[in-house]
Amino acid sequence: MKGAFLLFRLSFKRARLLLGATGVLLALVQMLRVRIAEKIYDAGQFDQLNSVLSTYLREIIGSALGSIMTFSGIVCGVYFDTGFILALLALAIALSTLPASEMETGFADMILARPVPRHWIITRTIALVLFAIVLMLGMIMVGTLAGLEIFAPPDAPWPTVRQTGALALTLGTLLACWSGVAMAFGAAYRRGVASTITSLVAFTALILDWARRAWPPLEWIAWLSPFRYFSPYELVAGKPLQVENLLVLWAIAATGYTLAYFIISQRDISR
Amino acid sequence: MPSRAEAREAIPGRCARDLPASAPRTSPPAISIRGLTKRYGPLTALNDLTLDIQCGEVFGFLGLNGAGKTTTIRLLLDLLRPSSGQASIFGYDCWTQGLEARASVGYLPGELGFYLDLTGLETLDFLAGLNRRRVDKTYRQQLCDRLELPDRDLRRRLREYSAGMKRKLGIIQAFQANPPLLILDEPTDGLDPLMQESFYCLLADVRRAGATVFMSSHVLSEVERVCDRIALLRKGEMVLLSSVMESRRLVPRRVRVVFKENVNGPLDLPPGHELTEMTPRMWRLTVAGPIGALLAQLEGLPVADLELEEARLEEVVLKYYREEGS
Repeated sequence: MKGAFLLFRLSFKRARLLLGATGVLLALVQMLRVRIAEKIYDAGQFDQLNSVLSTYLREIIGSALGSIMTFSGIVCGVYFDTGFILALLALAIALSTLPASEMETGFADMILARPVPRHWIITRTIALVLFAIVLMLGMIMVGTLAGLEIFAPPDAPWPTVRQTGALALTLGTLLACWSGVAMAFGAAYRRGVASTITSLVAFTALILDWARRAWPPLEWIAWLSPFRYFSPYELVAGKPLQVENLLVLWAIAATGYTLAYFIISQRDISR
Repeated sequence: MPSRAEAREAIPGRCARDLPASAPRTSPPAISIRGLTKRYGPLTALNDLTLDIQCGEVFGFLGLNGAGKTTTIRLLLDLLRPSSGQASIFGYDCWTQGLEARASVGYLPGELGFYLDLTGLETLDFLAGLNRRRVDKTYRQQLCDRLELPDRDLRRRLREYSAGMKRKLGIIQAFQANPPLLILDEPTDGLDPLMQESFYCLLADVRRAGATVFMSSHVLSEVERVCDRIALLRKGEMVLLSSVMESRRLVPRRVRVVFKENVNGPLDLPPGHELTEMTPRMWRLTVAGPIGALLAQLEGLPVADLELEEARLEEVVLKYYREEGS
C-alpha cells in the first residue's frame, strides 16, 4: 500500500494548486453570495425578486420557491447554483480522467513497469476525487460560515446545520456520481474524448431534468438522468433527505468505478 | 517455496543474490519467451517470438521502426496483453505473476513520460518508492555523478531539462535500484557522444556485477560493442538470433592482398571467394567462410602484405534490412 499512498501523495501534490485556488474562489464567491443575501434582506426585496422570476423558473423550482426566496434560501443556493455545480463537475471530471492522461503522457508506463498493480491507479484516482469533493464542500462551508459571521443581519435566520449538511451530502454524491462516469470513460478512452463525452452526457442529463420539472410527461425518460435524483430544492423547503436518491447516485458512482477497475485491468496501456 | 539460501544456490551470480526468497529453485533464464504474439485487429505486431535470455547476458534487440521491439518490451512488462504465447522473467510469468516479475526489473522506456512540473529529484524519489528493492542513495549519487547530472540540475523542474538530461534521468531511474534485469528501450537516444561513452562504461560495470541487460537499439555500433547476442526483428518476426561474433560470419570478410611484384590474376578461386578488384600488384576479395583455401592459393606468390577485415555487424543487419525493403 506504500506505493498507492505515494501515488496519491504525488497526484495531490500536483493538483494542490488547482484544488487550493478553486476552494478559495468558491469560499470567496459564497461570502459574496451571503453579502448579496444580506443586502436583499435589509432592503426587504425578496418578494420583488420573486416576482421577476420567469414562469419557467418557477415551474422548475416548484413549491420550494418560497423557501428559496429567503435569506437562508439564498445562502444555501450555492448547493444548487448551476454555475457552481458546473464548475465542480468540471473539476471532478478533470481529476477522474487522470488515468487517461497518465496513459497518454507515458507516465503510467513508468509506474506500471514497476511492481505496482494496475488497480492502484484507479484506487488513487477515486481517493483523490473524493478528497477533492470533500475539500470543495468544506471550503464552501467555510465561506458560508465566514460570510454569515461577517455579513448576516442579526435577526436573519441562518441555515440549519442539518440542512446545510444534507445539501452538501447531496451535492457531493452528485459529483461522485459524475466522477464515476468520467472515470469509466477515462479508463477506456483518451482524456480529451472521455472529458468531452462525460460533459456532453452531463449537460444532456441536466437539460433533461430541467425539462421534466417543467413538463412532467418527460418523466418516462427523465429517470435516466442522475440529476433526477438530486433534489436540493426540497431540502431547502425543509423536506427530509431522500436516502434512496443518494443510493441511486452512489450506485451510478460505484458502477462507474467498477467499470474503470475492470477496463484498466483488461486493456493495453498504450498512448 | 524454496528458502532464500536455496534460491541463491540455484541461480548463479547476481541473479541469485538479488532475487526474492520466493524465487523458483531451478535456475530459469532471465527472460523466457515462448510463441509470443500480439495482434491489433488484422495487424500482427509480433508473431510467434520464442527467445531465451540467460542471466548475465547483454542482449541486443534490433529492428527497423515498427518491427516489434517496443511491443515485445511492453508485453514483458505487462503494459500490453498478448494475443497468444507466454513470457516469464526469472521464472515468474509476466502476467499471472507480473508483480514478482517486475520487482526485478529496471525499465528505461523509449519515450519518457515524466511529469514536467516535478523536479528530477522528486521524480527519482517517487519512482524509487514504487520499487520493492531499496534504493541505495550512495549508488544513486554515483550514477548521477557518472552521467553528470549534478544536484543543481536534479533540483530543477523537468520542463527546464533538455532531451539529453531527461534521458540521463531515465537511465538513473532504471538503474537506481540496482536491479538484476535491465530492460532498456533505445537507451542512448538523445545522449551526446561523451555521455554515450559513460553509459557504455556503466553498462559494462553492471554486466560485470552479473546483471542481465535486454536492450533495443538502432545504433548498430553500440550493439556490436556492448551486446553478447542479438536478435533481429523484421515485421514482427525474428529473422536472426545469434551471438554478435557469429553474426559477423554471416557476411563475407574483406581481404586485401598486396604483392611485391606483378602477378597474374587468380585462375581458379575456391567457392565463396569473389574477386572485387584486381591490379597487377593488388587483389581485393570477399571471402565467405574459412580463409585457408585462399592462403593455399597464395602459396608461391610474392605476397608483401595481407589485410583481413572482419565484417561489421552493420553489414549483417543492413543485409536483412535491405531484404525487408525489397
